[in-house]
Amino acid sequence: MTPVIETRALTKRYGRRTALHGIDLTIEPGRVFGVIGPTGAGKTTTMRVLLDIIRATSGDVRVLGHDPRTGGPALRRRIGYLPGELALAGRATARSLLHHYAELNGGIEHGRIDELADRLGLELGRPVRSLSKGNKQKVGLVQAFAHRPDLLVLDEPTSGLDPLVQQEFLTMVREAREAGQTVFLSSHVISEIQQAADDVAVLRSGRIVDVSTVERLRAAARRSVRITVRADDRDALLARLSSVSRLDDVTVTEVDGTAMVHGMLGDGVAPFVAAVAASDLLDLVVQEPDLESAVLGFYGPSAEQEEQS
Amino acid sequence: MSATMQSSRTAVRARPLPLLRRQLAETWRGLIGWSLGLAGVVGMYLPLYSTIGGNPEFLAIIESLPPELVAALSYDQITTGAGYTQGTVHGLIGFVLVTIAAVGWGSSIIAGDEERGTLELVLAHGVGRTQVVLERFAAIALKLIALAVLLGLMVLGLNEPAALELSLEGIVAGSMALLGVGLLTAAVGTMTGAIIGRRSIAVGAAAGVAVLGYALNALGNQNPDLEWMHVLSPYFWAYGAAPLADGFDPLMGLLYAVSAVALTVAVIAFRRRDVAV
Repeated sequence: MTPVIETRALTKRYGRRTALHGIDLTIEPGRVFGVIGPTGAGKTTTMRVLLDIIRATSGDVRVLGHDPRTGGPALRRRIGYLPGELALAGRATARSLLHHYAELNGGIEHGRIDELADRLGLELGRPVRSLSKGNKQKVGLVQAFAHRPDLLVLDEPTSGLDPLVQQEFLTMVREAREAGQTVFLSSHVISEIQQAADDVAVLRSGRIVDVSTVERLRAAARRSVRITVRADDRDALLARLSSVSRLDDVTVTEVDGTAMVHGMLGDGVAPFVAAVAASDLLDLVVQEPDLESAVLGFYGPSAEQEEQS
Repeated sequence: MSATMQSSRTAVRARPLPLLRRQLAETWRGLIGWSLGLAGVVGMYLPLYSTIGGNPEFLAIIESLPPELVAALSYDQITTGAGYTQGTVHGLIGFVLVTIAAVGWGSSIIAGDEERGTLELVLAHGVGRTQVVLERFAAIALKLIALAVLLGLMVLGLNEPAALELSLEGIVAGSMALLGVGLLTAAVGTMTGAIIGRRSIAVGAAAGVAVLGYALNALGNQNPDLEWMHVLSPYFWAYGAAPLADGFDPLMGLLYAVSAVALTVAVIAFRRRDVAV
């Protein structure tokens, strides 16, 4: 099957600054592909090249089998794009703006805009310039999904949305995938990618550091654990924990005769639970794997420090 | 998959010239403002011809003015209806109004839209860059034509009451000259925006061409040694052959030809470059 997006050694330079250092991406049809990375990593630049808003300095790009530079309007009609810095201006209402975009894409089916607006809770009758950031984002999502494009390119899609609308968005992404559409989305928030995507590329400073599935990323991620025991039992517990491999960043806090032990668990849960089971536990919390730190691991220690500072 | 669904029950249909219609829908209010302004100027100045242009006392004032000033303002022709209309409306306040409108419109369709961040999303849809430049410029052209037609009709309506004694050809040629000036100014603004993408620079270039054109014409009027400056002045291309008095002259065609060249450059440049970086 021909990939929906394929880039080979995609490079983009602005004068002396290099934004993309040879990106190789292959996105198969029907996948939800997430790209994650800090601001300035090159996520937006990559997406703009796919839409022919900016042009690659070198390298090969194929979108739905075509070069974006020569694919023209016919190719872009098959793509739904949500820009990362969505700007909507003017006194036109959201409805009239969405009709305009639909028209540029060759028309859409009856009631489609109202249906999407209802789902996201968007009032179509208000001028776009008076809309809040979240509502503008909804307009952006509606115009991207409205014409049921073969490919959705969504740059930070949930930015500014409240949690309920974020859930609705995730449902829309799942439906798009079930309908055979391909989704390419970016985020700097891992949880968004974790919930929506099948595959993840980690981008840093214009390079792809890793391409993985969310499952593999999750397996590599560390969990935060917290054990509460009586203060008297503290030393015995710490002795047992010292035998657990890949339990790091252990800290102890004592409050009112209880000791709370925090740590980050890098390996399986079973040996850890076995080790602490012998203690008289007041409480035990094992959190979901922390993909944030897994990805920060890919970014490398310097990025981790930047994040913390 | 999606194609069959769309064709079976289409609510939003693709109609011709979507960008042109959109541009007009977004800016018609501004056009109303410019129209009222232009109508006000024409309606105020032209009826005064008999009391100013043909008035001996006023002529005495003009004769007392420095000849250089009179030449710069083209007031040496003010004793005729055509000269008066040229000196007050087409060559002065009407020129200023149309120039300001054209500078604003020309610099906004590419550079202004790009700077406010809204152009990116338009280009991400099923449109080509040539189409964006041409349809949006066509919207400007229609608005300038509307102003030129309004000007022509106003002058025609006031021709007899104000005893201007203008020919129909002169009135049409006068409007066409001002239209050409507006188109050229807007095309320079569009072109600069299409090349550079910065609104302030596009405004500067378009306004600069208009102001420089006026200045070169005024200097060229001063004495025969400076007449060569007329060659470089769009203002002179428009009015050098006295269209209101003498009707059409090929010189005016330069305005339209240079506009077409500027627009072509705009398309070529805009197709080649990155947008909104």
